[in-house]
Amino acid sequence: MRTLVLLAALAAAVPAQAQFRLPNLDINRLIDTVKNVKKAVTDIGEPEEIEIGQDVASRLLGAAPLVPDAALQRYVNHVGRWLAAQTERPDLPWRFGVLDAPQLNAFAVPGGTIFITRGLLERMKSESELAGVLAHEIVHVLRKHHLKAIQKGAKAALAGEALNQALEERGGAAREKLISFGTEMYGRGLDKADELEADRLGVVIAARGGYDPYGLPMVIQTLQAMNPEDSGIALMFKTHPAPAERLGALEAMQPTLDAHASRPQLVERFKAQARR
Amino acid sequence: MRRLALPLLLPLLLFPLLANAEPATLVRATELKAAPATDAATVASLPENAAVETLERKGGWTRVKGVAGEGWVRMLALRFGGPGAAKQGESGIAQIFNVARTGTSGTQVTTGARGLDADQLANAQPNPAELAKMKGYAADRAGAEAFAVQGKLAATPVEYPQP
Repeated sequence: MRTLVLLAALAAAVPAQAQFRLPNLDINRLIDTVKNVKKAVTDIGEPEEIEIGQDVASRLLGAAPLVPDAALQRYVNHVGRWLAAQTERPDLPWRFGVLDAPQLNAFAVPGGTIFITRGLLERMKSESELAGVLAHEIVHVLRKHHLKAIQKGAKAALAGEALNQALEERGGAAREKLISFGTEMYGRGLDKADELEADRLGVVIAARGGYDPYGLPMVIQTLQAMNPEDSGIALMFKTHPAPAERLGALEAMQPTLDAHASRPQLVERFKAQARR
Repeated sequence: MRRLALPLLLPLLLFPLLANAEPATLVRATELKAAPATDAATVASLPENAAVETLERKGGWTRVKGVAGEGWVRMLALRFGGPGAAKQGESGIAQIFNVARTGTSGTQVTTGARGLDADQLANAQPNPAELAKMKGYAADRAGAEAFAVQGKLAATPVEYPQP
């Protein structure tokens, strides 16, 4: 009975409301904008992901160039490519680079480009540690952590329509803004949950590649032993959960870690290839 | 210039590898084991926050020395650093490299406008030449497989954890 009254009230109200004029409302334009926002959220396809990633990678290389050592770069590419082959996105154009910077850090760029700094590499003691860090970064690419963060942030910074334009027009002003924003993001970092997921799944990927998966926790322990005030790790600490928290969270992975702990660490190959 | 400086720096680079003993504390009460295995004999029971010195790591275990003696504990139970515990600081390797790169003793790592600090990332300009170089260093799948075989790395099926 009460429902009936409500319906009758609504029926009376609707025509009344329709009499109000909505000034200058272009309904088609509104629909297009809504469509564009929807497309931007759901539809960054793999080719666009790779293209955006290449542009962001180029900027990061503008911040720090590669270490001028072809053998070192090829070595790191072999480790990374082998790990990537064990994942659900084995055929992305995976590329790995050592940046000539003394800071300790690593970056994953959408579409399969991964950077590690000379500073971080110098603190490592084995190939399994390198594999652990690369596997962590590979997870960011697999799960599109940065791509999603770029989308989320860009939606606020640009209108939905502009984001769509940025995706379609390479070299246009909207695209430039998007790439700039995407690069700047590496100074701010991802959600903590994304970082902890990259740790957990990174351990799995290192184990799939046949490495001792303790490499990643070992690197995190090395970071923990450093002074957080050190300028070389300031950005890394700002953009990641505290090492103690990461180690605590990795205890959930203890069964996987222990099942493969006796696998190769490849200390000698690492020394020969990365410490010449 | 960096190339020239490297031989001089090499002993400094190796130093952290040799100087393994580091102070650490236990994140919880832990059994000190005679060997790196869960079923090894228990040497002592260490309380939470017990101070130890770390000696070497083996898989998921770290050999430690403390007032209760020497033995093995879970590496994930160890915490380094914290207030006053850090030793590297600005006198660490990063600064030595800054000196080598810039020829100054400043703590700023900047050479020109380049660098990986947040503001430098925000202002970074594209470097297509380096991007092209990077493409040239890429490994293909066959090459990666040969590399794995050479290192005796066996691909192993391992499941992701349930979310």
